Amino acid sequence: MTHPPPLLHTTTPDVETSNGTTSNPEAVAKIREAWISNQLRRRQAEFTEYKNANVFTGTWNVNAKKMDPSASLASWLFPPSTPSPPDIIAVGFQEIVDLNAVNVAVDSKASQRSVFWQETILRTLTSNNRHYTLVQEVHLVGMLLCVYVQNKHLPHVSNVSCNTVGVGVMGVMGNKGGVSTLRKHDQLNIERGNSSVFQGFSESVLLFPPTYKYQPNTDLYECRPDKKLRAPAWCDRVLWHEADEGTVECQVYERAELNISDHKPVMATFTCRIKNINTEKRSDVYSEVMRSLDKRENQSLPKVDLDKVTIDFKSLYYDNKSTASITLTNTGTSNAHWRLVPKLEDEALCKEWVQVSPTFGLLVKGESCEINFSVQIDNETAMKLSNNEENLDDILILRLENGRDHYLTVSGKYARSCFGMNVRDLVLISEPVRDVPLDPKGRIDFEASHPPASLSVPKELWRIVDAICDKGLHEKDLFLTPGFAAEVKQIRECLDTNSDFGLFHIHSMAEVLVSFLASLSEPIVPSTLFPTLEIDQGNIMPWSRRFLEELPPIHYNCFVYIISFFREILLFSNSNNLSPAKLARVCTSCLIRNDDATRGGKGDRSRNMSLIFLHFLTTNSI
Amino acid sequence: MSGSVRHFKLVLLGDTAVGKSCLVVRFVRDEFFEFQEPTIGAAFLTQSVQLDSSVVKFEIWDTAGQERYRSLAPMYYRGASAAIVVFDLSNKESYNGAKSWVKELMRRGDPNVVIALAGNKADLPASQRKVETEEAQAYAEENNILYLETSAKNASNVKNLFVEIAKKLPQQAMQQEREQGFTISPPKQEKKSCC
Repeated sequence: MTHPPPLLHTTTPDVETSNGTTSNPEAVAKIREAWISNQLRRRQAEFTEYKNANVFTGTWNVNAKKMDPSASLASWLFPPSTPSPPDIIAVGFQEIVDLNAVNVAVDSKASQRSVFWQETILRTLTSNNRHYTLVQEVHLVGMLLCVYVQNKHLPHVSNVSCNTVGVGVMGVMGNKGGVSTLRKHDQLNIERGNSSVFQGFSESVLLFPPTYKYQPNTDLYECRPDKKLRAPAWCDRVLWHEADEGTVECQVYERAELNISDHKPVMATFTCRIKNINTEKRSDVYSEVMRSLDKRENQSLPKVDLDKVTIDFKSLYYDNKSTASITLTNTGTSNAHWRLVPKLEDEALCKEWVQVSPTFGLLVKGESCEINFSVQIDNETAMKLSNNEENLDDILILRLENGRDHYLTVSGKYARSCFGMNVRDLVLISEPVRDVPLDPKGRIDFEASHPPASLSVPKELWRIVDAICDKGLHEKDLFLTPGFAAEVKQIRECLDTNSDFGLFHIHSMAEVLVSFLASLSEPIVPSTLFPTLEIDQGNIMPWSRRFLEELPPIHYNCFVYIISFFREILLFSNSNNLSPAKLARVCTSCLIRNDDATRGGKGDRSRNMSLIFLHFLTTNSI
Repeated sequence: MSGSVRHFKLVLLGDTAVGKSCLVVRFVRDEFFEFQEPTIGAAFLTQSVQLDSSVVKFEIWDTAGQERYRSLAPMYYRGASAAIVVFDLSNKESYNGAKSWVKELMRRGDPNVVIALAGNKADLPASQRKVETEEAQAYAEENNILYLETSAKNASNVKNLFVEIAKKLPQQAMQQEREQGFTISPPKQEKKSCC
C-alpha cells in the first residue's frame, strides 16, 4: 500500500496577495524549520559521538517449571567469559506456563509466573552485587520479556518502547513463540540461507551442543522409551538485527547448564555502538545553521545605494525654482521596490515647498534611477518663512519594500525678501531686508546692533514709487502693460539688498509695485474694514471717512501714500491714458486680499471697496 | 527545539554615536568597524537567538540617532516588542539622552515593551568612564528594565544582551496560532449509493 504524498498542514489559510500570488507565513515558517532540521541531520556527525554498550540477551524455555526459590540464575546471566557487567540485560522466557486452553485465554497464572521469574532474576542480580532496574516488562501468555538497565545509566533512559508479536490464534492469543516450531537442528540456518525467514537478521556461530530435548533435572537428552524419540536440536537461539551495518558485534554465544527444564537456557552478549548526542555541540551547530540562514536572509534583503542623502540648495530666492536630484542604484541581489512614505501622522510626503518626482519605482538588480527635487518659494511659503512659521528643512522617507528606510534631507536657506512681509515690520528696517536674520535668536542679535527704525512707509515702497515718479508718469498704459520677468526679478533683488536698480523698463517697475503690495502678508486694506452695507452716493462719504479712521497707522500711511501717488499719475492721464476707474481696479488687485474679497457674504464687498477707492481717486478727500 | 520560532520586532534607540549600529553589526555579523557610518534612516536586519527550548527571531530596526531625526523614531518603536536603549559609558550626555528615550518608550511605546538599557563602550579604560555601573543599575531597577554593559568592539555581553531580552519576551508569541496543534476531524462521509 502506498501513502499519498504528505500535505504541509497550516492552521492559517493562504492569503492572496495583491500581485496575484498566494502567501502563507505559517507555511514559510514550517518550511524554514524543516530546512533547519535537514541541515542539522546532515551535520549530525559534528555533535554525535558513538559509545560502546554491552548488552546481554538470554532466552530460556522453562517448560512451565519453577525453580527452587533459593536457586540462582548466575551461571546464565553472568557467563564467565563476559568482560564487564553488561549495560543492558534483556531476558526472554518461553512457556512460563503450560500452553493449555485455559492459560492461553486467561492470564492470571501467567502473571504469577511472570512475577516469580522477575523476582528470581532480581535476586540473582542483587546477590551478585549487580545494580539494575527493570525498565520494561512484557508477557504474552507463555512468554515473558524483561529488560534491565544498569542503575548508573538510568538518567539517560527515556522513551522505552517495545514491540511484541503474537503469532498464535488471530494474532491475539499467544503460544510458544516462533522459535519452537522449527524442528530440525539446522532448519533455521537452512531457511535463513534461503532468505525465507528472518531476513536482515544475523546469528553467531553455534559452538554449543543442542539445547533440546533434555530430561528435566538432568543433563541427559531425552531418550526414555515412553517418550517420543527426538533428535537433539538447537531450538533456543539468539538472532539480532542492526539498523546500521557494523554496529553490533556478538562477543559470547553460549548455553548455561541449568536443568529444571527440557531446554537449556541460551545467552549471547553483544557490544553495540550507541549514538550519543552531545546537546551542547548540537546547540552550537543549530546556532550556526540558524546564523547562516539569517545571513542569507539578510543578504537577500533589497538594497539600494544613494549617491547622496542630503540636498542643500543653499540660498533660495523668492519665486525662484531650484532643482537637484539623487541617484538611486539597486546594489542588492533582489528587485527593489521603493517608495516615498509620509512621516507618522502626516499625509503628505513632504512640505509644500518641495516637489519630488518620481515618488515610487522598481529597480531591478544593478538598475539606477534619479529622484528629482525642486523647490520653489511661492508667496505663501515666503510669508511663513518671513514670520518664522516655516523653515527650509525637510526629511523624506524612502522605504524599500521588505527592507530598510533611508532618510533624504532637503534643505536651503531663504534669502529674505520684502515680498511676503508686512508693512509694520518693514517700517522698522532701514537696512536691506536681506540682512535681517530669520531665526529669532539671530534677529535679537541683529536688533541689538541695529536699533529699529520708524519709517512712515516701507523704504521699498518709497523706492518703487520714487522710481516711477522719476521717469514714468507719462508712460502710456502704465500699470496695464506687463513688465519683463527678468527685470522684475532684478528689481526685487535690488529692493532686498538696497542696491541701485540699474536699467529697467517702467512697466517692470509698475509690475513690481503691484506684486509687492499684493504679496504683503497683511494687505494694506484689512478685510475687516470692508463696508458691510451697499454703498451709494448717500453713504459713501461717511463710509470713506470711517474707513480711513479705522486703518491701522502704518497701513493708513501706505494707503494715503499710494492714493496720492495714483492721483498724481492721473494728472498725466492725457499721455498715460489712465482713468480713476482703471486705477481703482489696480487698487482692488493689490490693496485688498482677493481671497478675502471673494468671501463676500452679503453682496460683493470688494465692489464696495472699489467704490471707495474710486471715491478717493476722484475727490480731494485725502 | 524546532517548531517554535517566535518573531519579535526589536528597535534600537539612543543618541548619536553611542554604538547602536555597532551592536547590531556585532550581534548579526560578528564584525566591528571603528568608523561605522552614521545611520541615515532605519536599518533592518533579522537575527535568531536560541534559547533552551525555543528560538526567538528578532526583526531589528536600527534607528538614526541624530537629533534631527528624533521625531521619526515613533515609526519604529511603535509595535516593537522589545527596545534596546543605548548610551555611551564615556558620555554622560548620552546617558541622560537614554533616560529620556526610556521615558518616551514608557509613555508612547507598546505597554508591554521589554526595555534593555545598554551602557556601551565598556572596553574603554576606567579613566574615561562617565557613568557608574551602580547609578545606571539603580535607574534600571527603579524602572524595572534590564541593564547591561556591553562592548561592540570586544563583543562582550552583546549576544547576552539579546538573549536576556529574548528570555523576557512572552512565551507565546504574537503569532500564537503557529504554536498550536491542529484538530483532526473525521472526513465527511459522502453517502454513495450502491448501484
